[in-house]
Amino acid sequence: MPPTLPLLKGTLDVLVLKALTWEPMHGFEITTWLEAQSRGSLDVDEGALYHALHRLEERGFIGSEWRLTENNRRARYYKLLPAGRTHLRTEGANLERYARALTTILGVKPS
Amino acid sequence: MSHGKRHFDLGKGTPEAARADMNEELAFHVDERVRWLVARGWTPEAARDEAMRRVAKSEGMLVDSAVRKTSKLATREWLRDAADDVRYALRGLRRQPGFTLVAILTIAFGIGANTAMYSAIDALLLRALPFPEPGRLMDVVQTTDNNATQPWSYPKYRFYQENQRSFRSLALYSSTQAILTGNDPERMAVEEVTAPYLSTLGVNVAIGRDLPTSLGDAPGAARVALISDALWRRRFAADPGIVGRSISIDNTPWEVAGVLPPGFQGLSGRAEVLLNLTSRNADDLNQEWSLEFSLVGRLNEGVAATTATREAELIGPRIYDAFPMKEGLLSTSERPQAWSATARSLDTIRAAPALRRSLLVLFGAVGLVLLIACVNLANLLVARALTRRREIAVRLAVGARRGRLVRLLITESLTLAVLGGIASLGVAWLGVRLIAGLNPSEVLRVQGLEGGIGAVGLEQTFLDSRALFFTLVVTLGVGLVFGLFPALRATRSDLVTDLKAGTRGGGQSRGLNTSRRALVVTEVALAVVLLTASGLMIRSLSRLLGVDPGFDSRNVLTLRLTVPEGNFAPDSMPGFYEQVQETIAAIPGVEHVGLSDCPPLNNGCNGTILTFADRPQTAAGNAMVGVHWASPDWFRTMRVPLKRGRLFTDDDRLGGPRVVLINEAAARQFFPGEDPIGKRVAVYQGGFDKGAEIIGIVGDVRYGTIDSTARPDAYISYSQARIPRMMIFVRTTGDPSALAGTVREAIRRVAPTMPVYDVRPMSTRVAAARGQAQFSAVVLGLFAAVALTLAVMGIYGVMSFAVAQRTQEIGVRMALGAARRSVLLLIMRDTAWLAGSGLTIGVVAALAFGRVLRSMLFEVSPADPITFVGIVLILAATALLAGWIPALRAARVNPAGALQGG
Repeated sequence: MPPTLPLLKGTLDVLVLKALTWEPMHGFEITTWLEAQSRGSLDVDEGALYHALHRLEERGFIGSEWRLTENNRRARYYKLLPAGRTHLRTEGANLERYARALTTILGVKPS
Repeated sequence: MSHGKRHFDLGKGTPEAARADMNEELAFHVDERVRWLVARGWTPEAARDEAMRRVAKSEGMLVDSAVRKTSKLATREWLRDAADDVRYALRGLRRQPGFTLVAILTIAFGIGANTAMYSAIDALLLRALPFPEPGRLMDVVQTTDNNATQPWSYPKYRFYQENQRSFRSLALYSSTQAILTGNDPERMAVEEVTAPYLSTLGVNVAIGRDLPTSLGDAPGAARVALISDALWRRRFAADPGIVGRSISIDNTPWEVAGVLPPGFQGLSGRAEVLLNLTSRNADDLNQEWSLEFSLVGRLNEGVAATTATREAELIGPRIYDAFPMKEGLLSTSERPQAWSATARSLDTIRAAPALRRSLLVLFGAVGLVLLIACVNLANLLVARALTRRREIAVRLAVGARRGRLVRLLITESLTLAVLGGIASLGVAWLGVRLIAGLNPSEVLRVQGLEGGIGAVGLEQTFLDSRALFFTLVVTLGVGLVFGLFPALRATRSDLVTDLKAGTRGGGQSRGLNTSRRALVVTEVALAVVLLTASGLMIRSLSRLLGVDPGFDSRNVLTLRLTVPEGNFAPDSMPGFYEQVQETIAAIPGVEHVGLSDCPPLNNGCNGTILTFADRPQTAAGNAMVGVHWASPDWFRTMRVPLKRGRLFTDDDRLGGPRVVLINEAAARQFFPGEDPIGKRVAVYQGGFDKGAEIIGIVGDVRYGTIDSTARPDAYISYSQARIPRMMIFVRTTGDPSALAGTVREAIRRVAPTMPVYDVRPMSTRVAAARGQAQFSAVVLGLFAAVALTLAVMGIYGVMSFAVAQRTQEIGVRMALGAARRSVLLLIMRDTAWLAGSGLTIGVVAALAFGRVLRSMLFEVSPADPITFVGIVLILAATALLAGWIPALRAARVNPAGALQGG
């Protein structure tokens, strides 16, 4: 298994928003969802994740509430708000363009 | 409420809750991680270690960030709700423009008047004195056993200065008048001061240097002066070269050492020139009992004010021992026995007591007006709340928290208050300009202005940040006062009744109605207080206007003419004045010309001791009289009647037998049952201590204030004594002001170098003497009118509402055969009950408040029955009238319509 990748600055917010487009999740679910979707190549640090959640909530992109899990435990669930959806659209598109540009440049072979 | 994206956990918003939440969230995260790792083959211990490790490093940071986030969200939500509430309130207010306008204007007037009054009080009583470390400045005075304060003589001051340790520096000062002589002579206020005056106060000269300390304490020092910035600009074209030059004051050269900073004109607030006091000669300055100077001191570092006071009280008696009083030295009415001294903060004497009192009474009155306005607004809001009870009940029913609704309603009243507060600034601005333009000595009785530092005055009234802060606090207070009560009442809802309530929206809201009735009673009571206060002032004013001052002030022009010292040999002065009189008498339209040294209503004139040739001379037997120098024609000019004997003639002149006239008060007091004419008395002034004959008795003239009866007076013919300063009285056939220019011109022809000043009709002097009563009566009357209007509006509103509410009941009564008259009575009885309760409470409150007014009233008791009965009748009549219209409406109810409509 190759070593996991550190997250680039600013990308975590977009990834968290993306995760929440499926359904409201609690923090650990978001971690596992991101790890699973990246097939294990991303390692999400707890500190960075919750800090991002606070930031997103402050900016009105997500909301949160306490709910019970299937195992009847209290957990804080995060939910995407309309403003967050808009943010995800624009910032997600930017990131994608950026990633494409990187791939193109790095894919160039010396002629 | 109206916005959609509300967080679905509103959170408790406290830091503690945020911290607990974050910890719980992390604990849950750890547990989930452990479960996840164990599922992937980790041992439970290793899994827990790993999970803890991952969280532990950022735990502290996350808790902090959670607390930050929570508080930010809470604030934002609060603001969003507040903005919603304000929008909602504005919408509601726009829907009722009439109500809104009345409410805003009421608040604007109430708060504006209060801000203006506060600004005046701030300028006069509160703001720090305009000197560095003003708390270290003290006023030192001599005191006597009859509780009076006395100024200092130079030798007594020196004694005190040498024995005290509390003050770093001490300075004598005294306010007087002098003439800037030269081409265009000008009379001006000056202060005589000792050299450390400026340094004691902490004032620096703008140009040049301070009075040099080298002048020392010995009399006969060099003549050095400081001039005011205003004088420097007006007379010397702001020429910096003035420093070191010589100017002529009272025909004597003075060297100008420097120019005072702009705005500083001595503690008197008027001085154009500060003169070095020690330039007086030794004979003059060493008079032990020439009490003429005030003393200001700056405390030493680390010395408390109380220490200085105690020290002064210890030194005081020793001063008296060092300079015992000799017979006939002092021309005060009583001769005090025990003398001492004391030191008090300069701040405590900043405002004249009478001015302080009037301002505080007016402030109280204007505060009452605001209170009435608040009560009225509360009343209006309760009425509004009544019409909205269904809406409120619905909101409560669908789950709105009561706190949230109260907040909504209070936001509405606060919004109104803030709008009113903003509008009030215009009112305050006008009020402040009005107050700053008042001349207290014109508006207030001159007597009241004894004491006080002229440097602090009404002209310093302006709207500053303090006044704006005051406005803000009052505005918020007002919004809460008249909003909270209706809001609490309106939301204490009985859901079922209100939802069932009919279309009229009122329903069984007896509780609310009771509170409205209580508000009306309060309003009437407050109106009684204000109306009686203004009624008393008006009664007092009419008494004052009825007072006979002892002379006829119509068609008399008065002006002052001062002969500068050194201009004339004293003996030639009467001749000079005769020439002036003849010149003026020759002007067409002039009936009589008279001279006197002191005008009536002058807050007292010069006085001295009187002794009787045919009675044994004891200290106790000495009588005090006011002494006046007058020309023979003065009595005819002022129409002061001769009661017995004869007036002065032109033959009563210097060198002839000395004669005096006395007034009736003196005849009554000193010669009960005797004929004073021909009696010989000694008047200890103007050389008349050698004895003079009483030749006549004239009518009493009020020389003090208009409300104090005449004291014993003696008149000396101006041609038998030497006095440099005379006042000219001209009786004219027409308007005296019209002749002012001609008279001035005539005097200039005879005496081109002597300044003529203080030219005004005698009637304006009398008006000024009545000024304070007039001013207070007018202002209080205005307030009372506002209060009356508001109270009537309140009664009318409540009674109309009550009638509207009881239409059904009245309909039933009439259907059952009640006469219209009995319906009318029913409503009027209710009105009478409201008004009666208010009047009763009000009278009791007014009697208590009246005691504050006592000192401002003239010959009127603060419990004056005529005023009280009159006010109660006026208010009762107006209140019944306010109830009459709704009562008539009730009596015209159509029984059939009322029953169907229900």
